[in-house]
Amino acid sequence: MVEHKDVHEEILLAPIAQTGPGFYWAVAGLAVFILWGAIAYAVQFHQGLGVTGLQQPVSWGFYVTNFVFFIGISHAGTLISAILRLSKAEWRRPITRMAEVITVMVLFIGAGQILIDLGRPDRMMNVIRYGRYQSPLLWDATSISAYLTASVVYLYLPMIPDIAVLRDRLKKRKLFYSVLALGWTGTEHQQRILNRAIAIMAVLVIPIAVSVHSVVSFVFSMTLQPMWHSTIFGPYFVVGAIFSGIAALIVAMIVFRKAYGLEPYLKPIHFRYLGQLLLIMALLWFYFTFSEYLTGYYGAEPEEMKVFWAKFIGPFWPFFWAMVLCNFVIPIACLARLSQRTVGKVLIASLSVTVGMWLERFIIVVPTLSFPRVPFPEGVYSPTWVEWGLMAGSFALFALFYLLFTKLFPIISIWEIQEGRETGLKEVEERLLTYLPDEAEANILAVSTRGR
Amino acid sequence: MERERSDWDRMVKNLQWAIAGVFVLFVGGLIIWIIHLIRTAWWLGDVPSASIGISLVAIPVFLVLLGVVLYVFWGLLTHQREE
Repeated sequence: MVEHKDVHEEILLAPIAQTGPGFYWAVAGLAVFILWGAIAYAVQFHQGLGVTGLQQPVSWGFYVTNFVFFIGISHAGTLISAILRLSKAEWRRPITRMAEVITVMVLFIGAGQILIDLGRPDRMMNVIRYGRYQSPLLWDATSISAYLTASVVYLYLPMIPDIAVLRDRLKKRKLFYSVLALGWTGTEHQQRILNRAIAIMAVLVIPIAVSVHSVVSFVFSMTLQPMWHSTIFGPYFVVGAIFSGIAALIVAMIVFRKAYGLEPYLKPIHFRYLGQLLLIMALLWFYFTFSEYLTGYYGAEPEEMKVFWAKFIGPFWPFFWAMVLCNFVIPIACLARLSQRTVGKVLIASLSVTVGMWLERFIIVVPTLSFPRVPFPEGVYSPTWVEWGLMAGSFALFALFYLLFTKLFPIISIWEIQEGRETGLKEVEERLLTYLPDEAEANILAVSTRGR
Repeated sequence: MERERSDWDRMVKNLQWAIAGVFVLFVGGLIIWIIHLIRTAWWLGDVPSASIGISLVAIPVFLVLLGVVLYVFWGLLTHQREE
């Protein structure tokens, strides 16, 4: 009989050991968009930010929208994975790695948006030399650096046992895997150290992740601009980030489930649980959005109302109502009943949320700048092909990084699946028993009740 | 054969410690940068309390991350075989 361990290793290492034509087609397709992005960046670098649709008063457009969106998606990974790990949700096992990879990849792309928005990347040196901690922009730089570092460590640590499998089983990249495996032989001592380190990281990344998106929101809410100066922007951004993160994770899971034949690992039950989480986040997002807009409307401050009506019935109405449709109406319709066609419904809801959350970021950034409080003339923002190209290139680069990762490392944690089979079942049974009343205690209690 | 094996092991081990070294430099660099910002704010009288307040949170976070990484590197690399 073939051992479970070998079967899992064989299935999960297959995408690394063999490469089919689909991979090359995917890389070629993505390369087209990346090339478009590269040309757009070259034009912008050569001619300056004048080639974009950015002008006064709308000095933030697609790049800052993408920055907030990508940083939001990064909450997919580390936060969701850490919460599921700490709460001992057993269904997390095939999901965590995919989530953690999203975090690391999008953080690089998200941080890159700021470099693009600077126009001249050498000005980044000014932040290093003359940065001022009074500015929320620098809080951002610090918290994103901490989050990126923590996410890379949190992705790497649980990969060590799997890298050791690659080192021992694969004939290629021997040095690469040997170095990264850190001499893992699976001794009890090594396991104790790794488990302890993963537990510390799981606790550490949650506050860091929450702080990152709170700080991203502070970039807006610390100003006195209409519809930005809000006390609930921190939690509102965090909720939106988790919402879009779950959606991105589900899309990635469905793509790789299909591409690599991972149906035995990513079952409909996983999508149902994630779909339920997405539904809760959709309701929570709606609650925050409603609170935010109701407070602004009730205050009826003239400058605030200009932006408010611009979103509801003014030039931004298609984006605003598309956002409500994508973030609330479609997810609720798809996720309210998940008993049948679970995967399809969850996919539609997730794609819708991904689009909706990008629109939400756009709706936050651009309308306020179009109707500024200071006596600037009002402005209309219309992105040029350069911004579209850089946006397409950024998304394609993220997809390419993710795809390349799956060709180097298993996208589902092999050891966590094995651990689930070997010790997880017993652990869950024992844990379940601790939740229930003890039989002996119940009997004594019943006897004493009868005696009374 | 035996010698080749030990050369390979030594090279792998050196590279592993080099990664740990790069991480120390990275975190050290970030901490130096934060201290530089405090110093600049102090010299310019530019609300140094803000820089100090933020660094009181940021520096320990980076140090904990460094601690975890070094703990794993040290623990795994020095205990490759069951004693």
